[in-house]
Amino acid sequence: MTDPDRTQTESEGLGVNLAGTVAEAHRPAGRPPTAREPIFRLEDVSVRYSGKLAVDDVSLDFAHHQITALIGPSGCGKSTLIRCLNRMNDLIPTASVEGSIIYHGQDLYADTVDPVEVRKRIGMVFQKPNPFPKSVYDNIAFGPRVLGMKGDMDEMVENALRGAALWDEVKDRLSDNAFGMSGGQQQRLCIARCMAVEPDVILMDEPCSALDPISTGKIEDLMMELKENYSIVIVTHNMQQAARVSDMTAFLIVELDSAERNRWGRVIEYDQTEKIFTNPSDKRTEDYVTGKVG
Amino acid sequence: MPIEGTRVAYQEELENLEHRALEGLDLVVASIERTNEAVQHQDIELAELVIASDDVIDGRYLEVHQAILTLLATQAPVASDLRLISALLHVMKCMERMGDQCVNIAKLVPIAGHEPPADERMLKDILTMGNAVREQVRQAKRAFSERNVELARDLVRQDDVVDNLNRECFRLAIEIGTSEDRREWAMTMMLIARAIERIGDNAVDIGEQVAFLVTGLFREFEDASHPGEDLAQNPI
Repeated sequence: MTDPDRTQTESEGLGVNLAGTVAEAHRPAGRPPTAREPIFRLEDVSVRYSGKLAVDDVSLDFAHHQITALIGPSGCGKSTLIRCLNRMNDLIPTASVEGSIIYHGQDLYADTVDPVEVRKRIGMVFQKPNPFPKSVYDNIAFGPRVLGMKGDMDEMVENALRGAALWDEVKDRLSDNAFGMSGGQQQRLCIARCMAVEPDVILMDEPCSALDPISTGKIEDLMMELKENYSIVIVTHNMQQAARVSDMTAFLIVELDSAERNRWGRVIEYDQTEKIFTNPSDKRTEDYVTGKVG
Repeated sequence: MPIEGTRVAYQEELENLEHRALEGLDLVVASIERTNEAVQHQDIELAELVIASDDVIDGRYLEVHQAILTLLATQAPVASDLRLISALLHVMKCMERMGDQCVNIAKLVPIAGHEPPADERMLKDILTMGNAVREQVRQAKRAFSERNVELARDLVRQDDVVDNLNRECFRLAIEIGTSEDRREWAMTMMLIARAIERIGDNAVDIGEQVAFLVTGLFREFEDASHPGEDLAQNPI
């Protein structure tokens, strides 16, 4: 692929256009409009584990600099779907992904794409904080060092910690072991670690489920700040969290085959979060968000 | 009917809240009936009873309002549950205002005096208005409990009748105002007509909440600043 207009950034790694000038492409009939240009475009995405369907036929656009929430009951494939967005499912030998996931106009699963580069640009924060058994400083510096990023490391660490609203709390104990931090601080450290490698998307898989309300509030405040510079996709079981922080919400349900032996997830409604939580179009969404069904 | 599914206690609480709120409209209907009778017979004692019994309506307003706040704080309702809560808040406000209008009318009964009515036609129009708005409130309650948008929209038609009678009262007030006493009586009756007309407007407001509850979109059935326009097709 040659594009004379490509910037320096585009020519690196994935060859994606990080300036975010993806043109509005053809939107399949029935797909709700997103408020902004898509950073991800999922077309007929299905995921299987050992041949068994886990997520069925998902087509969604995820917008730039917005927070998109994936909600739904346990087993509906939310985590499976979010893990497709940075090819984390590649690490599961039995997993296979069908359809296409277009990231900045480029197929994320194309043979030429380096999964490591994908995960650098599309970072992930998990349910439980997972800092390395290292100092606060080294946790942040780890990614840039591994990736051979050039520049003032102290500055990189400080910027990442400031970006995660953690700097003021840890600036005097950067050499302390990260395990000594509170759960909420550890989670923000993981977000800072993610930011240190300068991604443009942050995926969050139930990032607050192990945190108390105060720490949860700090993470949510942080998410609102981060979306100025990053696109965020979050999986959450907390309906109110989805309502509080996200711009768009996708609702997935669990479907069963006639013998009720196999189950898989499917997106049945995707819309503005305000719409999902005030006047959803689908009765199943209504029943789920109001808690009438589990 | 027993509720199936999850959050059963919450759903029962919501149902009970709606029941208590709509019962409040029954209190208003009773108050309108008494008010109409007090106006018809210039019954000052009955008018005082209307004023006293408004405390019951205010009490119901406070009770349901507090329960709604508790439910919002503890259950975080969303989607149709949230719309129901929002609509009930409006209904309760309308209920409280309609009760106040009955009090306003009741306070005017002694002012209208013990003399025979200065004009039977005007009194008849006002009593017709009173009966009409009582039926509007009943219909508003039925439309809400049945989630019946057509029934709710029909309130506009009924309200037009009340509005026309109000205008007729105004015309009669000018016509009969040939002496100071008659003018005073006519002005007092105009205030009563105006209060009744506002009750009708409140019933229409409840109808609009029915449409919001069912469709999720708020539309004014009629816009006072653009009379005659059907706003059902156009969001405000």
